[in-house]
Amino acid sequence: MRWHRIRALLQNYYYASLNSLDRIFDVIYWPILDIFIWGFMTLYIQGISEFNILNSILGAIVIWVFLWRASQDPVVYILESFWSRSVYHLFAAPVKVSELMVALSILGIVRSLIAFTVMISVSFLLYQFNFFAFNLGHFAMFIGILLLFAWGVGLLISSLVFRFGTRVQVLAWSTIWIIQPFSCVFYPVSALPVWAQKIAVLLPTTHVFEQLRASLAGNTINYGSLVYALVVSVLFTVIMAFVISRAIEKAKKSGRIAKAE
Amino acid sequence: MAILTVKKLRKTFPIKGKKLTAVDGVSFSVQKGEIFGLLGVNGAGKSTTINMLTGLTRPDSGSVTMFGKNYFKNEEECKQRCNVATAYYHLSHNLTALQNLKVFANLYNVHNPMEKIRELSEKFMVTHRFNTKVSYLSSGERTRLVIVKALLNNPEILFLDECTVGLDPDVAELVRDHLLQYNKETGCTIIFTSHYMQEVEKLCDRIAFMDSGKIVRVGNAHDLVKELQMQRVTLRFSQNKKEAKSLLRKEGIPFSEKGKMISFQIKNKNKVLYPLLEKFVKKKIVFDDIHVDKPTLEEYFIAQSRNAVKKEVTHK
Repeated sequence: MRWHRIRALLQNYYYASLNSLDRIFDVIYWPILDIFIWGFMTLYIQGISEFNILNSILGAIVIWVFLWRASQDPVVYILESFWSRSVYHLFAAPVKVSELMVALSILGIVRSLIAFTVMISVSFLLYQFNFFAFNLGHFAMFIGILLLFAWGVGLLISSLVFRFGTRVQVLAWSTIWIIQPFSCVFYPVSALPVWAQKIAVLLPTTHVFEQLRASLAGNTINYGSLVYALVVSVLFTVIMAFVISRAIEKAKKSGRIAKAE
Repeated sequence: MAILTVKKLRKTFPIKGKKLTAVDGVSFSVQKGEIFGLLGVNGAGKSTTINMLTGLTRPDSGSVTMFGKNYFKNEEECKQRCNVATAYYHLSHNLTALQNLKVFANLYNVHNPMEKIRELSEKFMVTHRFNTKVSYLSSGERTRLVIVKALLNNPEILFLDECTVGLDPDVAELVRDHLLQYNKETGCTIIFTSHYMQEVEKLCDRIAFMDSGKIVRVGNAHDLVKELQMQRVTLRFSQNKKEAKSLLRKEGIPFSEKGKMISFQIKNKNKVLYPLLEKFVKKKIVFDDIHVDKPTLEEYFIAQSRNAVKKEVTHK
């Protein structure tokens, strides 16, 4: 692995972000919109019920957007290289798959952190939601685990793009939303029907959001649950790293990269 | 010493349950500093061959030795010492010309990248478009930008796949001149495909003619054209045209006539034309002017392409 190539790939993504209003909107416009909608809706529900759910909803949405961006953004940048057919020149250069993965992972973190910063700032301005008043150690753990899982999801979708081409590009925007209802982002696992609970407990995201609610409510954290989430996320990402390297090799065999389609 | 040796390279693509053979056991060697042309009709396998040699497509079988090393085991090193340009794949549309060049200069770890970018961009006339997004560049500008990218790392082997398509004739001429100059100054090996025969004739030291995924002929342009052996002879008569026609009929040479001109094709100048002219002299048939057209690489290409089409029709 060579740092100069990782830096060049990051430079490529940096320029692509600066030049594209779409990519800027991804990390600013949509997160702000989410905070607006969810925040005001939560304030309204809080007004007509006895539950104090503002913190848990805002905390959940901030963490969810982190997961969303970190999983989706790397795929979108890969898709852009297919759309402009520049993937041809990228793979003719001495870029290794591992370097591409590292660059895309760093891209995911950076863009997630931008969205995260925008969201906690807007949450504070609109709802006086002070993120730093909570247990930051817990938040670091939650974000770390979700980031690993997000990389895995990003690698999975990227693998599908390399394997099947741009015709599966819709997965870049939709896959994470299949996970959301089972991840219990805004409600406890017990709110799901029994059959859905069986799926939910397998997902690392569910464990993270359950513990997030516990932390925000000042309850004790179940570290065993977080260890499960961490192990599953690490295993998933490692498997997906293998899968993407196989998918790229397969794309070279099928001629998909040379045709950039 | 061969800088590139390709042995029995084969590639098939599955299409609707069947296997289409794009490259069928291609073998060739290219010497250091040589300009080697791959010629053939669309679908002959030129681009697939180049894609395999640039690591973009994996072959089914065969071996590639580049810089004395197994290409597939030393891909990173080989790619660092090569580069590729094509008119069909541009650089990132969302980035400006300069941003793209900076990215690729860093990917190839170019020393003094800005100096190199400026030097090449001035040669290929893209400096004035540095701050324009690739999506707003003309087709010719995009192609020139790709050529600049391809020269950033001082490649020892440069793959040029129809890189002058879409360029204005004067710009194409300039690009060819720069590429020739680069080849002479650095000893860079160039693997070249083009549909422009004059370009191939001018640039290439040797040419491999591809047909249905196979190399059917290798040689320099002069040798290939010689193989064609066809020459068109045109004679102009102010008198004796009737006698000339009668003699040609007697000799069994088919001809066409237009005004004062009589044209016919011969395969061998020594065996056909010279004896015929002697007979003209003996019979006192006088002609005003004679014109013998040398066959061109284009005629060779057309003849080979027709053969390929005939074979395909017969096969079907």
